Amino acid sequence: MFENIPHEELKVVGKGIERIDTVEKLTGAALYTGDWVVPGMLHAKVKRSPHAKARIKRIDTSKAEKLPGVHAVLTGKELDYRVGLYLVDKHILAKDVVRHFGEAVAAVAAETPAIAQQAVDLIQVDYEVMEPVLEPKSAAKKGAPLVHPDLGTYEYVKEVFTPIPGTNIANHTKLRKGDVEKGFKEADVIVEREYTNPNVQHVPMETHVAIGQWLLGDRISIITSAQSPFTVRNLFAHSFKIPHCNIRVYIPSVGGGFGGKAGIHLEPLCCVLSRQAGGRPVKIQATREEEFSLLPCRSGLVYHIKTGVKKNGKIVAQQMTMYWDAGAYADYAVNVTRASGYSAAGPYEIPNAWVDAYTVYTNKPFGTAYRGFGHVEFSWGLERHMDLCARTLGMDPLKFRLANTLKPGSVTLTGEVITEHTGNVGRCLEEVAKAIGYGKLTPAEKAREKKTGMKIGKAVVALHKAPAMPPFTGTVVILKMNEDGTVTANLSLTEIGAGTYTSIVQIIAEALGFPVEKVRLPIENDTDRDPYDWQTVASKGLLLSGNAAILAAHDLLGKAYEVAAQVLRANPCDLDHDDEKVFLRHHPAKCVTFKAMAVGYAYPDGNAIGGPLVGVGRYVAQGLSNLDKETGQGNPALDWTYGAHGLVVEAHPRTGEYNIIKVASAFDVGKVINVKSVRGQIIGGMLQGLGTAMCEGYRYAPDGRLLNPNFTDNKIPTSLDLPEEIDCIAVETPQIDGPFGARGVGEHSMIAIGAALGNALQNAVGADLTHLPIRQEDVWRALPKGGKGPEGKIP
Amino acid sequence: MLHEFSYLAPRERKDLLQLLKKHSGQARLLAGGTDLLCDIRLGTDKPAYLIDVKHIPEMQGITWSERDGLAIGATVTCIEIMRHPVIAKKFPLLAHAAGHIGSAQLRNRATIGGNLCTASPCADLGCSSLALGARVELASVRGTRVIPMKEFFTGVKATQLKDDEVVQRVLYPAEAAGAAWGMEKLKRIKGHDLAVVSVAIARTATWLRVGIGSCAPTPVVTADLPPQATAAAVVAAAFKVVNPIDDVRASRDFRLFMVEEFIRKLLPALA
Amino acid sequence: MNTKHTVAVTVNGKKYTREVVGHRTLLRFLREDLGLTGTKEGCGAGECGACTVILNGKTVNSCLVLAPEADGATIETVEGEAKNGKLSNLQEAFHRNHGVQCGFCTPGMLMSVKALLKEHPKPTVDQIKEAIEGNFCRCTGYQQIIESVLDATGQLKPKTEEMRRV
Repeated sequence: MFENIPHEELKVVGKGIERIDTVEKLTGAALYTGDWVVPGMLHAKVKRSPHAKARIKRIDTSKAEKLPGVHAVLTGKELDYRVGLYLVDKHILAKDVVRHFGEAVAAVAAETPAIAQQAVDLIQVDYEVMEPVLEPKSAAKKGAPLVHPDLGTYEYVKEVFTPIPGTNIANHTKLRKGDVEKGFKEADVIVEREYTNPNVQHVPMETHVAIGQWLLGDRISIITSAQSPFTVRNLFAHSFKIPHCNIRVYIPSVGGGFGGKAGIHLEPLCCVLSRQAGGRPVKIQATREEEFSLLPCRSGLVYHIKTGVKKNGKIVAQQMTMYWDAGAYADYAVNVTRASGYSAAGPYEIPNAWVDAYTVYTNKPFGTAYRGFGHVEFSWGLERHMDLCARTLGMDPLKFRLANTLKPGSVTLTGEVITEHTGNVGRCLEEVAKAIGYGKLTPAEKAREKKTGMKIGKAVVALHKAPAMPPFTGTVVILKMNEDGTVTANLSLTEIGAGTYTSIVQIIAEALGFPVEKVRLPIENDTDRDPYDWQTVASKGLLLSGNAAILAAHDLLGKAYEVAAQVLRANPCDLDHDDEKVFLRHHPAKCVTFKAMAVGYAYPDGNAIGGPLVGVGRYVAQGLSNLDKETGQGNPALDWTYGAHGLVVEAHPRTGEYNIIKVASAFDVGKVINVKSVRGQIIGGMLQGLGTAMCEGYRYAPDGRLLNPNFTDNKIPTSLDLPEEIDCIAVETPQIDGPFGARGVGEHSMIAIGAALGNALQNAVGADLTHLPIRQEDVWRALPKGGKGPEGKIP
Repeated sequence: MLHEFSYLAPRERKDLLQLLKKHSGQARLLAGGTDLLCDIRLGTDKPAYLIDVKHIPEMQGITWSERDGLAIGATVTCIEIMRHPVIAKKFPLLAHAAGHIGSAQLRNRATIGGNLCTASPCADLGCSSLALGARVELASVRGTRVIPMKEFFTGVKATQLKDDEVVQRVLYPAEAAGAAWGMEKLKRIKGHDLAVVSVAIARTATWLRVGIGSCAPTPVVTADLPPQATAAAVVAAAFKVVNPIDDVRASRDFRLFMVEEFIRKLLPALA
Repeated sequence: MNTKHTVAVTVNGKKYTREVVGHRTLLRFLREDLGLTGTKEGCGAGECGACTVILNGKTVNSCLVLAPEADGATIETVEGEAKNGKLSNLQEAFHRNHGVQCGFCTPGMLMSVKALLKEHPKPTVDQIKEAIEGNFCRCTGYQQIIESVLDATGQLKPKTEEMRRV
C-alpha cells in the first residue's frame, strides 16, 4: 500500500531477517500432521486399483470386516458423495468403475496400520478390465471412449468453465484477440510445432496425511496437511451438505505443498471412516508410492503453436492449441487450462491471437495445481518455440524476444493494458543475459571446451505469471494487541515453507513501527480461530494478505490513537507513536503507552475507555473480472510477475551427457520484503524446475499402469544436481497496489527453466528437443544425425 | 514394517546354519537391510523369519594374504570397503564401486553380501567383482563350497544359493591385486542412483576383463582377453555377453551405445 | 511371530529400554515408542533421507533399520542438537541463512551434516554436497543449506550482493 518508500527508510521490510518458523523446525519441535496422535485414533489404509480402467464387478469385504481390530470398512457403494473443486466429478471411493491406476476402491480403519493393511489385503475385488484412453489428443476426439459418460449431469462453475458433454472435454477455454487469419496473411514466415510434457509429481517431503473425526450431530474435526483450510472446509460442507460452522479444520506445520495439497484430498475419506467407526478419529497417511497415483499429480500437456512473424522480428499472429491431460478427474486441471489459456503467449505482445485450450479426461492419475499452475508446462513449448522462430528468421533469440516483450502500452491476450507499474520483463532478460555472458564464450569457457571435449551453449528465456484466482478473491488479517503491548496476528494462509509468514510479520512490523519481536504470527491454522482466506496458492498471498496486514495495522493504530487522543486531550492528527507509546508530536513527553491501552485504558479512579485493541484489515482484489467465455476478454490478473532465466550448459556432442554450468535468474518482484526468502524461492523453484527439465515425469505401460511411482525410478534433484553457479537478481519496479510495492514470486522461479535448458542444449550441440524431461538418452537421440549421432553407432 | 516377522540374531555360525536349516524357505537373511526391508515393505517379499547375520564372526572382516588373496566377510559394509587400506591399495576398483553405491546413509549399512545376494543386474559390486575374478564362499550345515561369482548369478535376482545356504565370504585372487582398473556408471541424475549401465574393467599382465551391469539379467563379465586387446576386440567381447532390454530407465539401444562408449573411454585411461 | 525383544539404547545421551516386536523399525521405535517425533518419514524406502539418524557414529536411514538391530547402540537425533535451551552452532547457522523452508527434511539434514562435520570440521562445498546427497530437500534447492554449513564452519564469505537488487 502501496506507498513507494525508498529502501533506506524502511526498518524491517527488505531485510533478510531470520524466518519465524525455523527454531521449531530445527529442533524437531515443529509438529506436522503425521506427528499428531489423537486419543482413540484409528489408522486407515486403502485398497487401490491395479488397472487404469475397469468395471468393478464385485467387492468382497467380508473377511476384512471379521478381522479383529477392524472398526470400519467402506467401498464406493456406501458413499454417494461427489467431490470437486470446479467440476464435481469424483467419488470418495470409486463407484462401479475405476478410472485410473491407483484409484481407491475400498478403505479400512483399524486399531493399527498393520491391521488395516492386513484387512485391505483380505478385500477381494473382481474387475472387468477395459481398454483405457491414455493420450489426450485422441481422447479429445469425438467418438473416443468416454472416461465420464455422465459429464453432462455434473455440477460445475458455469460462469467460468465449459465442459462438452458426450466427449472427454471437461473444459474448453477460448481466447480470441484481433484477427488471426489476417495476421497470418501479413506474416513473412509461419513457424509451427508441437511440444509435450508428461505428468509430474509434486514430491513434497511430507506425504498427504489427515486425521478426521465425525461426531454425532455432524460435527467434524479435521487435522490435515492441506494448504488451504477454508477450501477444505468449504468443499467438505458442499459435498456432505453440512453447515460450515459444524466443521473445524486445523493445520499444523506442513511439509511442503507445491499445489499438491491445495484442494481437498484424504480429508473426506478419513471422516467417513470415522463416522462408520462410531466417531473415533481416523488417521490416514499416504505412502510415498500412494503419493504418485492415489493422490494427484501435474497434468500433462500437448501444446501446438503456430506463429506468424514479420522479417523484422515482430510477431503478428499466433494460434495456440493446448490439450491438457487432466487424467481421470478435473480437480484443478480445468482452471489450469483457463489460467494457462490466457497466459499462453508468455510475456510477449501478440496483436492477433487465437487460443483453444482443452482439459481432456484420460485414464491416468489426475492432475491438480502444481507450482506455476500450467506455466511450467506451456513455457517449455512456448520458449522453445520462440527460439525456433528466431532461428527460422535468422535472428538472435534474445533480440527476437526483446522485440516482442510486453511494455507499457502493450495489450495482453485478454485486453489488459500494461502500464509502467506492471513490471519490466525486458530488464529481467537483459540482466540474465549480462550475467551469463550471453552470445559468446569467454576465454575460460573456450579453454574448458578444449579440455573436456564438451560444447558449451547459452540461452535466455522470459516468463510471466499472474495469480490464477477468482476475481473476487479476498482475505482478512486480524491484529490483536496483547496486555503488554505486543501483537498477535491471525490469518489463514498456511506456511507451507515459502516464508510468506515471515514476510507478513515484517510488513506488520513495518506498518506498526514495531520491532518484529513484538509481532507474533502463529504458524498453525484453525478455521474456528482464524479469519477467512481463500487458499494458499497462486503466489497471491504476499500481495493480498500483505495489504490486509497493512490495513489491519492502520486500523489497530487508529483505534489506539482514538484512545490516546482522549487520554492526552489531543487531536489525533497531532499524535505520533513509537513501539512503546503514542505521544504528542510537539510534546513527546505527553504520552500514553500501548500497554496502558492494550485491553482498555483505565483512569486512576478505575473508569475505563476503549476496550481491547483489535485491528482488522480486509482486502479484496480490485478491478478483476470473469473472462468472456467466447473471446476470453476481461481482466484476470491481480499482478504480473515477470522473470527471465539465463542458462549455460556443457554437453557432449557424441553421448549427450550434459552439465549445467550456470543459471542466472531475474524476477521483477516489485519490492523485496525479505531478501533471503526471495532468494530461497528463486533457487528452490529453479532446482524444482530443473527436476521437471532433467529427470522427472510419469512413465506408463501401454495398459495405463504407472511404471515409476517411487524414488527409485522417479528421481528428483539432489544436492549434487545443483548448477555449478547460481546468480539471483531482483528487479524492483514497484507494484502500484502491492504491499510496499511487492508482488509474489513463489511459483515463477520454476517457470521456463526447462526451455532454457533445451535452448542451451540446442545451442551447444544442436539437439532439437520437444519433449520433457531431457535425459541424457534424449539428448543423444536428438543429436544431429550423420556421423556422430546414434544411428551410425549401434551394432 | 506392516508385515510381521520374527527377528532372529544368532551369535555363532553353527546356530545360524541350524536356524537356516530349520526355517528353510521361510527365512530371509538380514544384513544391511537396504534391499530386503524395501521388498518386505512393498509386500513383494513376505518372510516369516529374518535372520540377522551381522553377529557371525566368520562373516565379518577383511583379510589379505599373498597366498590366499583378499577375503571380504559378507557383512562388510560399503563404507568399510571404501576405507580399507589394503583394498584401497590392491583392489581400488572395489573401493570405487562401493563408494558409488547409493547415498552415504546406504553405504553405511549396505553390505557386499547383500549387494551380491540381491543379485540385481545393476549390482555395482557384482560387475566390479566379476572383472576381478571373484569367487563366493557358501556355507550350510552340509558344508562349505566355493564357486566362481560368474556361476553364482543365475537370473534376475536369482542365485545359486540354496534355501539353507549363506554367503560367508567373497574371495578375490591374489593375482588380481594391483590390477589396472577403470569404472563408469551411467545414472539419471548426478545424485545417488542405481546403474543404468555400468562398466568395470580390470587388467593384469595376463588378462583383461570387463564386468558389465544393467545390460543382461545378471551382472556379466567378458571372457578373459589378452591385456593388450584392442578397443574393438574388447567391445566385441562385451557385446557377446550383454543383451540389454528397453525399460523405464533406458532403451536397449542407448545401453549398447554406452557400453561401447564407456569401454572406449576407460581402456586408454586404466590406472 | 510376535516375540518381543528388549532394546536398550542411548539416545542423545539418555538411556531407554523398551520391549518391541521384531518387525518394528528404528524410525517407528524413535517416534512412537520413545516419543521423539522430530525424525520424519519421507519415503520408507531409504531414498530420501528424511529419517536420517546417527547410529553408533554413522548416519543411517532409520526406516531401514529394525529396532532390535539397534540394541545397545548410541543414537543421535535432531532432538539432541540444541543443548541447555540454546541452539547449536549448526542450528544457528541454518536459522541465519534460511537453510530451512518447510522443515520436513531438516532433522535428517542436520544429522547428515553433523556426521560430516565430525570427520571434516571444515568441509569443502563438494564434501557438503556429497554428505547431503542422500537427503532430499524439495524446497530450498540446497544452496542455502550449503551456505548454512559453510557459515557454521566459518567459511561463508561475506557477500554484500548475494542477491543483486536492481
